[in-house]
Amino acid sequence: MSKKGSVPIKQPSQYERFHWAQRVAHALLLISFTTLALTGLPQKYAMTGWAEAMIKSFGGIEITRLFHHVAAGVLMLLTIYHILDIGYKIFVRRSQMSMLPGLQDVKDGIQAFVYNLGLGKRRPQMGRYTFEEKMEYWALVWGIIIMGITGFMMWNPLAAVRLLPGEIIPAAKAAHGGEALLAVLAIIVWHMYGVHLRRFNKSMWTGKLSEEEMLHEHPLELANIKAGIVRRRVDPKTLRKRQTVYYPVAGVLAVAMLLGVYGFVNGEKTAITTVPPISSPVPIYVPQTPTPTSTLLPTPTTGATVLTWDGSIGPLFQAKCGACHGTTVTLAQLSFATYADAIKGGQDGKVILPSDPAGSLLVQKQQAGGHPGQFSAEELGLVSQWIAAGAPEK
Amino acid sequence: MLKSVNAIRAPRLAAISLILSLTLLGVAAGLVKPAAAAGDQVKPQEADNVACLACHNQPGFSLPLPSGESLPLTIDAGHFDDSVHKSLACTDCHTNISTFPHPDLKAQSLREVSMQLYTICKNCHLEQYDKTLDSVHQKALAAGNTNAAICTDCHNPHTQTQLTDPTTGKLLPEARVQIPMKCARCHSAIYDQYKASVHGSALIGDGNPDVPTCIDCHGVHNIQDPTTATFRVYSPLLCSKCHTDPAIMDKYGIPTQVLNTYVADFHGTTVTLFEKTSPDQVTNKPVCFDCHGVHNIKRVDDPQYGLAMKENLLAACRKCHPDATANFPDAWMSHYIPSPTRYPIVYYVNLFYKIFIPTVIGGMLIYVLSDIARRLIERRKGVKHA
Repeated sequence: MSKKGSVPIKQPSQYERFHWAQRVAHALLLISFTTLALTGLPQKYAMTGWAEAMIKSFGGIEITRLFHHVAAGVLMLLTIYHILDIGYKIFVRRSQMSMLPGLQDVKDGIQAFVYNLGLGKRRPQMGRYTFEEKMEYWALVWGIIIMGITGFMMWNPLAAVRLLPGEIIPAAKAAHGGEALLAVLAIIVWHMYGVHLRRFNKSMWTGKLSEEEMLHEHPLELANIKAGIVRRRVDPKTLRKRQTVYYPVAGVLAVAMLLGVYGFVNGEKTAITTVPPISSPVPIYVPQTPTPTSTLLPTPTTGATVLTWDGSIGPLFQAKCGACHGTTVTLAQLSFATYADAIKGGQDGKVILPSDPAGSLLVQKQQAGGHPGQFSAEELGLVSQWIAAGAPEK
Repeated sequence: MLKSVNAIRAPRLAAISLILSLTLLGVAAGLVKPAAAAGDQVKPQEADNVACLACHNQPGFSLPLPSGESLPLTIDAGHFDDSVHKSLACTDCHTNISTFPHPDLKAQSLREVSMQLYTICKNCHLEQYDKTLDSVHQKALAAGNTNAAICTDCHNPHTQTQLTDPTTGKLLPEARVQIPMKCARCHSAIYDQYKASVHGSALIGDGNPDVPTCIDCHGVHNIQDPTTATFRVYSPLLCSKCHTDPAIMDKYGIPTQVLNTYVADFHGTTVTLFEKTSPDQVTNKPVCFDCHGVHNIKRVDDPQYGLAMKENLLAACRKCHPDATANFPDAWMSHYIPSPTRYPIVYYVNLFYKIFIPTVIGGMLIYVLSDIARRLIERRKGVKHA
């Protein structure tokens, strides 16, 4: 740039480098790539503390995956746009395919490195895209292809293994993770150094480069611009003719690719959304029968009832009263161990008055209820009948 | 002759001791301290237990209840003397009984009797009792289900023997076997499954102490609801307590890589993250028991059910992936770490990136560093970057 500002210069001091549409696409790419990296790497390193903290801050793993999927969708749409845009530039505008790599780029790279080592005299003179930029662009292309394919496999594992072996799914996951790490590291080392650290290159935001920058970074392109070789305008008639061919083709292609994306995202219902059912469910509460009791089982009642002491009444007294009024223990000096004991009574006198159940102390006590050896109503009925019948022994 | 004399004398002795102890009881009942280790109280306990057993040792002694059930009142002195409570006095627990005749029983049914008595346990076992307040059984009980287990359903206080080694605090081998049978009293269908499982058959069949008994997974006293989201996401850590322990697994040739290979996979990563970040939220990603079974866990090489049989594994996959095809089970690496022979594609992809990433990034770094160096040199020299 001339220091004599008063001298009128016809050449522009700023050169357009990126069209606004390219800048918007780059911004979307930046957003989607960053989102994919921020939500993806914590999944790759899920068991580390930092990953866990990040996933938690996003609202959990399911939300993290949702963000990842949305960002992937944005990147897929961006890729479709880019393909159609490239198509337009190649087939309609017939622009020079300045991003294609060639032998010259290898030479430029070697020359730049040799220069940096102090072994060469000059840096390479490069055109619209330097070997550094081409490397980055094609790395992105490679990355998107790998991430797209492996992402598809993980998103649609049932479809993927219809033809391929099942092992391809964990392999896809391994490649997806490896490629992600590579991409993020490349962005940090290559991209951030190249356009942020070395010199902050604002052209992706302003769209412009100064003449000095052009001279330093893209001298061959600058020369071509000045010579009027690049940015040739296609005459409107030819342009329209080419457009009428390209637009329908691009439209069909766009629909096909969008359907592809739709299939990618919505193609299969991989799994049920509910918690898996228990394989052989059994009812939880199934008590064992007969239900075990906390102490020994009671003595079973005898079958036929014979209303004599030796028949049913004696054993009934034994079972119900024997514990306290038996041979070992004779509470209140009362025992029902034998017929004679029963009739004899205890410290309060006779408890059984033959033929007088209502007058018998035993019946009175039992009717009051709550006696430790309590007869059931039925049993007491039998005992009363027996007393009424004269309390026979045999 | 001597024998007959004894036979006559015995009831009298019993009666005398009974009367003595009954009078003692009225004084002593309020003073007896309920305590587990109560060696200093042996004498009064002996006295009043003898008094109680005078009646309660009689076989077939029972009390009819309004429900129509019969409350068995017989205490088997032999069993009681083998129990952990042998040094306790009856009245330590049955604190309301100090006289004869006993106070009226207010319970209508057998269950009510237990319900009225079981809280007595906390007098000595407060820690365990407090834990039960946090249990699934207590929640069921609070919701009105009186079938829910209470202390005495699992621990008959009159017959409960020692369950743990007093020095180590670890479960005794025989206790490990008894526990499933206790649980089976209410959960018999689950017990039947467990009994036939790889764990249950080893425990119940062979008494193998390496396999889990019910409480190893479900806990004891504060048994949690195993159908919650929290239990689900935590369950892999339960299984891995044993399955990552070479001291146990090496005996059976079972690999201990089961947890890390699971966690490295999509399913395990998700479940682990849920466990760490939001354990109360439900995830449908499978945990160990979704594939291996809950109580009916079989050996992986079981010809009928084992997951090493590909068709069984496919059936397990299809529980969640109904459209899974024959290739699909290989998407899960069956707890293997990829190697040149097992899952070689995965192994070589990993190997590729292990070489490719350092190569590419290393190459970039070398160039970037050379560029930085050149610019610094030129700046120092004041030379314009050519």
